[in-house]
Amino acid sequence: MAQGSARRCLRLEPAAAREVLGAADTLLFDCDGVLWRGEAAVAGAAAALSRLQARAKRLCYVTNNSSRTRAAYAEKLQRLGFPPAEPRQVFGSAYCAARYLRQALPPGAAAYVLGGAALSDELGAAGIPHLGPGPADLPGPGPADWSRAPLQPNVRAVLVGFDPHFCYAKLCQALRYLQRGPDCLLVGTNRDHRLPLENGAAIPGTGCLVKAVEVAAEREAFIIGKPSRYIFDCVASEFEIDPARTIMVGDRLDTDILMGNNCGLTTLLTLTGVTTLEEVKGHQESDCPSRKSLVPDYYVDSIADLLPALED
Amino acid sequence: MAGCRRLSGASWREVLGPAQGLLFDCDGVLWAGERAVPGAPELLERLSRSGKAALFVSNNSRRSVSELERRFSRLGFRGVRAEQVFSSALCSALYLRQRLLGAGDAACPGPAGRVFALGGEGLRGELRDAGLRLAGQGGPATGEDEPPVRAVLVGYDDQFTFAKLSEACGYLRDPQCLLVATDPDPWHPLSDGRRTPGTGSLTAAVETASGRKAVVVGKPNRYMFDCIVERFGVDPSRTLMVGDRLETDILFGKNCGLTTVLTLTGVSRLEEAQAYMASDSPAAKDLVPNYYVDSIADLIAGLDE
Repeated sequence: MAQGSARRCLRLEPAAAREVLGAADTLLFDCDGVLWRGEAAVAGAAAALSRLQARAKRLCYVTNNSSRTRAAYAEKLQRLGFPPAEPRQVFGSAYCAARYLRQALPPGAAAYVLGGAALSDELGAAGIPHLGPGPADLPGPGPADWSRAPLQPNVRAVLVGFDPHFCYAKLCQALRYLQRGPDCLLVGTNRDHRLPLENGAAIPGTGCLVKAVEVAAEREAFIIGKPSRYIFDCVASEFEIDPARTIMVGDRLDTDILMGNNCGLTTLLTLTGVTTLEEVKGHQESDCPSRKSLVPDYYVDSIADLLPALED
Repeated sequence: MAGCRRLSGASWREVLGPAQGLLFDCDGVLWAGERAVPGAPELLERLSRSGKAALFVSNNSRRSVSELERRFSRLGFRGVRAEQVFSSALCSALYLRQRLLGAGDAACPGPAGRVFALGGEGLRGELRDAGLRLAGQGGPATGEDEPPVRAVLVGYDDQFTFAKLSEACGYLRDPQCLLVATDPDPWHPLSDGRRTPGTGSLTAAVETASGRKAVVVGKPNRYMFDCIVERFGVDPSRTLMVGDRLETDILFGKNCGLTTVLTLTGVSRLEEAQAYMASDSPAAKDLVPNYYVDSIADLIAGLDE
């Protein structure tokens, strides 16, 4: 993908697909809306990945979801019939946040975590002391009581992930740690606004909780997940990745496609998730450079559309 | 651009002379936590004797106006009546009453929509006093004839939870449902110097989840001044605004055409005002007060007549 030239969101027909796939060593897949929706695999997706693997393409899975461990994702891939994957092929925001903190925190430093069990597990596996996951554990019903609870002296980071136990009390605690000084890091797993549910409804995403902390603390968080480069850097540091020979496949423009474009990858949008073609056309026709950066190189209705290009 | 000059002696008498009255913010101006700012009750007394009106305009959405009236009394401020006090809780209730109950809605006949309020009893009481019906927590209407939720109001809510955030978003899927916030404050100071998250922080979460922008009732927006003008007919060109927070009180004063005085007993530091003054950004200029004092008690001297 030449620098500076506009991406054109071309439909990836089989002939072009053969060339594009032939020129790639590695494919990065978002999962929700690309490989599956909820517990149902996208028809033909497993077959497409199987054929890609048979052609010695490296497959990696890149997800902003901070509620599952890498092992859990590997298990779900297997359960839904995808080619077996090792945890090291999975880059979830929980795992990558733990990696970030392992490198960014001084030895012995701990993290105060707004998040759930998976985030806690990944931090534990990375050897990072942490506190906070789960329901608020504070003395008394009101802010006056909470501000009397002692702070852990070794906390040097606040990590915000998906937290169904998020509440004002935990937000207070996070703010207290951040108030101790600028060398307390503020890290967010991702900025997704909403997590769509099957019935068209949605629940608030981690981005809401990150925003609440950022506004209260008057600071910007370091973001781990797409579209931030960091999650891609995790993949690149684990495997030898040549961006020019890597394809990012996703269903969301402002995370998957934006990250792929920013990192110099070839980007492929699938329409089995949250994005419609009309949305992309809107960005394409806009004069605004930041909207143009949301436009992928190619799109398919489903990744099953790659199958004809993968026939021997 | 405002000059951020110290207000004392001759300049104070010059400013006060033609003024009809003063609007005071409360937290950080009249009191800090449970302690009145020394000299503040005396200043109000002297102003009253000088024939200057005093009104109170607070972004704090925790307390009802009657609770605030009791607080004034308890902290030594005598003679402050409820009608002089404009809190963001009261003004949010007035705003929602206008939007949901006022003028009738031809497209939506029948009983007015309910309000899903994120906040404490003080806020909820003001809403009920304004004739609004509140959505109970924990899900959709219990009866089939319950009117729909037509507004989500975000206030200071120290019992805010993910579940409430999720419920709010459910109501906001209806584009007819209003999203209103009592105030934009990102945090409030506690008496020990620490900070507690403000309504602005919770509103940011609701806005992000719903993809909607909230209408913010409190300072620096004009609505609370409109409420004051409606009740008392105040002339902005003869009114001073005294506050401790540049981004709310002083900007509010600027937006409403008031002369502004920053007091240094609260949130903002003089260095911050000076930094805004030195900034190239046009928006920053609006945050510079006309005058400042170390404490409003400094103004007592100029009232010796």
